[in-house]
Order: sequence, then C-alpha cells, then structure tokens
Amino acid sequence: MSTEAQAVCSVAQSDDFVREVATASGANLAICLQCRKCSCGCPVAARSDLKPHEIVRLVQLGERDGVLASRMIWECTSCETCATRCPQNVDIPAMMDALRQASRAAKKTAATTTVPVFNDIFLRTVRRLGRMYEAGLMASYKLRTFRFFEDMDKVPLMLRKRKIALLPHKVRGGAERKRLFDRAKDMEGKSR
Amino acid sequence: MSCVFYPGCSLDSTARDYYLSTQAVAGALGLELPEIPDWTCCGSTPAHQSSELLALALPAQNLLAARGKTVAVCCAACYSRLKAANHTLAHDPKARAAVAEALGADYDGSTPVKHLLEIIVRDIGLKKVAERVVRPLKGLRVAAYYGCLLVRPPEVTQFDDPENPTLMDDVLAAAGAETLDWPHKTECCGASYSITDVSIVHQLTRDVLAMARDAGANCIATACPLCQLNLDLRQREIAEKFGESFDLPVFYFTQLLGLAFGLKPAQLGLRSLVVNPEPLLAAAGMLGEQVAGQRQGCTGCGH
Ligand code: SF4
Ligand code: SF4
Repeated sequence: MSTEAQAVCSVAQSDDFVREVATASGANLAICLQCRKCSCGCPVAARSDLKPHEIVRLVQLGERDGVLASRMIWECTSCETCATRCPQNVDIPAMMDALRQASRAAKKTAATTTVPVFNDIFLRTVRRLGRMYEAGLMASYKLRTFRFFEDMDKVPLMLRKRKIALLPHKVRGGAERKRLFDRAKDMEGKSR
Repeated sequence: MSCVFYPGCSLDSTARDYYLSTQAVAGALGLELPEIPDWTCCGSTPAHQSSELLALALPAQNLLAARGKTVAVCCAACYSRLKAANHTLAHDPKARAAVAEALGADYDGSTPVKHLLEIIVRDIGLKKVAERVVRPLKGLRVAAYYGCLLVRPPEVTQFDDPENPTLMDDVLAAAGAETLDWPHKTECCGASYSITDVSIVHQLTRDVLAMARDAGANCIATACPLCQLNLDLRQREIAEKFGESFDLPVFYFTQLLGLAFGLKPAQLGLRSLVVNPEPLLAAAGMLGEQVAGQRQGCTGCGH
C-alpha cells in the first residue's frame, strides 16, 4: 500500500474509533484544543502511562490498541477535575468509562490492573444482595487476584472498630433485581 | 422539612459512626431522617465504569422509592451517583426510555437530592446550629476536606464553589471551630483504589494529610465515608511509608457538630476512629468531666 493510501486508511480508521467513543460516551472529543489543562489538575497524570489530553489525542488519531491497553484508563479515579476545568467541556471521565468498556470487550485490558475483577465482584454482590457486603467482597476479590496478605493486618482492627460486619444483609426484591441486571445486560449487548 | 434518608452501603458498614452521628445531629436539629424502605446500592464506581444503564437504573430505582420526597444523602459518592442519574434522566429522553424499559417503571429525574451539609446550611440555617451549641469547638483548627464528588462536576451537583467550597467550613465555624483556608479542600484521596491499587491512595492521601498539617490543622473534617476511611485508616501506614508524622484525627463533620451540641461520644461513634482523637479533644476541653472522672484505661470516646 502506498504511503498516501495508508494515510487515507488511517484517517478512515481514526474516524471510526473517535466516532465510536464519542457516541458511547457523549463526549465531544473533536473540539479538544490540546491545552493540557485537564492533565495539569489530574491526580494520576504524573504516575500513569498516558495523560488525559494524550488519550484524547490518541483517540482522535485512531490509536485503538494503544489506548485500550493503557494503564491510565484503569488508574483514572473518576475525580471529575478535568471535566470541571476543561475550557471546551470535553467530558473526559465519560470517555474513560466508554474506553474501559471497550477495552474489556476487545480483551485488551492492561494486565497490571485488578479493577475489572473488583467491579465484577462488586456488581455481582449488588445483584444478589441489593447492597455491598464488604467482608464477602474482600474475600472473593482476594481469591480472584491472589492478593491474600495485602491489608490482612487491617481485619482485626476493622472488626474492633466495627467497620465490617461478618454477615451480609439481604434486601427484599431479589427477583426483580436479577431481572433488572439481566435486562440491562441484554439491552446493552444489543446496542453495542 | 420532610426528607427521606438514603444511607448507602458505606454508612451501613464501614461508616457506622457516620450513620450514628448523622442521626444524632439531625435529631438535635429537629430533622427526621427515616430511611427509604428497602433501599439498594447506587452502583457506585463499578456501575458507571461497567454499564451506563445500570449506573442510571440503580439510582433511579431508589429515587422512585422516595415518592417525591427530598432525598437526604451523607456519602459523597452516593450523592454524586444520584445527582448524575437525575441530571441525565432529566436531559436525555433516550436514556430515560432505556431506564424505563430496564426498570419496568418510568422515572423523570425530578426527585430532589441534597447532601446533609446543604440541608443544614440552606434549609435549617446556621442560626439554628449556633443556638444549639453548648460546647463551642474552641481549640480545634479544622481542615475541612470536601474531596471530589460533592463539588464536581458543578453543573450536576450544584453543591458549592467547585474550587473553594465553604459549606462545611460555615457549619463548623457556627459551632465555634476555627476552619482553615487551605488548598487541598477538593483534591482527590484515591477513593476506591484503596482496594485495587493502594499505591494511588497512599500518594494522594499523603498529599492531603501533609497539606492539612502544614496549613496548621490539628484535625480534619470530612463529609464522605471513602475520604474518611482513606485519611484515617491508612494514616499510619502512609506515615511509615513516607517517613512522616501526621497525628491528625479525621472526623465526620457530624461528629464535631455532635460534640458541640453536647452529645455523648458513644452517640457519635467516636470509638470507631482509628487515629485517637482523645488527646486533642481532652486538651480542647471537649470531653468534659465524664472522662476525667472515669480514667481507667478506657475513656469517654472508647480509645
Ligand atoms: S482541558 Fe479540555 S481542551 Fe484542554 S487538552 Fe484537556 S480535554 Fe482538551
Ligand atoms: S477524572 Fe480521571 S482523567 Fe480526569 S482528572 Fe480525574 S483522574 Fe484525571
């Protein structure tokens, strides 16, 4: 393929990716000025592999794989500082949510993160019980991520300080709850 | 005024002390806070990271159950999810239709949601707070820490100035505390990364603690169970990791308010705090005779 043809293809591809992310998130990524105000206030920009303004640019350029495999989309704390300060109102936190889902759907998720495992266990607990249940959440999370010893020293302290209950509390309406989760999955599966 | 209360999962577990002190202070101010019957989790960060539909439907379900009454919230994370759902459902007919289909019930985003700080300052009024004070919080130099989700994004939460909020400062000042002008009021503490990548929390929380200390604070006040847990439970390991010392008790603003109202430490759940607040409170004369009288190992606040 000629260089020119490659350039045309990459523009076409980039159009696809940016449109996909913009549609899924509602974020207007095309109007970013690359002023970097988002990255200046971002609490994790200094430690992560990509800064928020760089992610926006890479999405515009269609760098699908690099973006979906980045650590940044899993280190962003959803603190909303970038969105609050952006002069163009680019909704970066919504873009991050869309990229997280795309990253999982494409099986590109950075190996270093355990956030998806945590999210799945959390939502499964809510589906089953209606509320979060810390002791159960931590046990399943540790089993799935093999982080058995991390924070184990906190358990007696948290029990003593009455911060964790050993038994779950189950809210009524379990059948409807399951139906809601299943229906949401069906509906989102269809639209994706 | 007539409210219903959405405690959220943290107040039901790790932040029982926030729950207790909220109910005690509300009672003292004549505000009833009955819970929404059978309330469920708002979905928190895992829902909005995983599914937009669940992130809207879970809050919508609870807001429908409030039957039009104002929903009072104490957790900044729940507050943010409920407010975000209201904002989207009121402005986006497609999202509203999708939620109606998933939930089997239509919700238009109109149930009012308020944080307890907003209710105290804007509905009850600082005058009433000041009248109720029997033991002013003199000697406490408080860094009021708001974190992210009360103030941001401002067009959704409409809580206060997103860069320099003052609602919590105003409440604590009405109770006699000195509140500090400091730059980290709305910096992020790392929130739920406490579980998935604690190094993020260590760094961010360290910066908040160090700034509070350097600004001259002798304690921190919070209005969010995730902020409180990170600043309090992780304070010792952060001090060790960075070779620093902080010794900053981290209260819920409701606990400080309760002390000013003369409520007992047990009613305010003070014994659940990890950094022992007793030396500070004793020096400020906030624990009264009840402690001096029974100094046998265990004291007024249970430490
Ligand atoms: S602050 Fe907004 S306009 Fe500036 S670089 Fe970031 S996203 Fe782009
Ligand atoms: S929301 Fe994410 S990207 Fe934006 S400032 Fe916060 S951590 Fe950075």
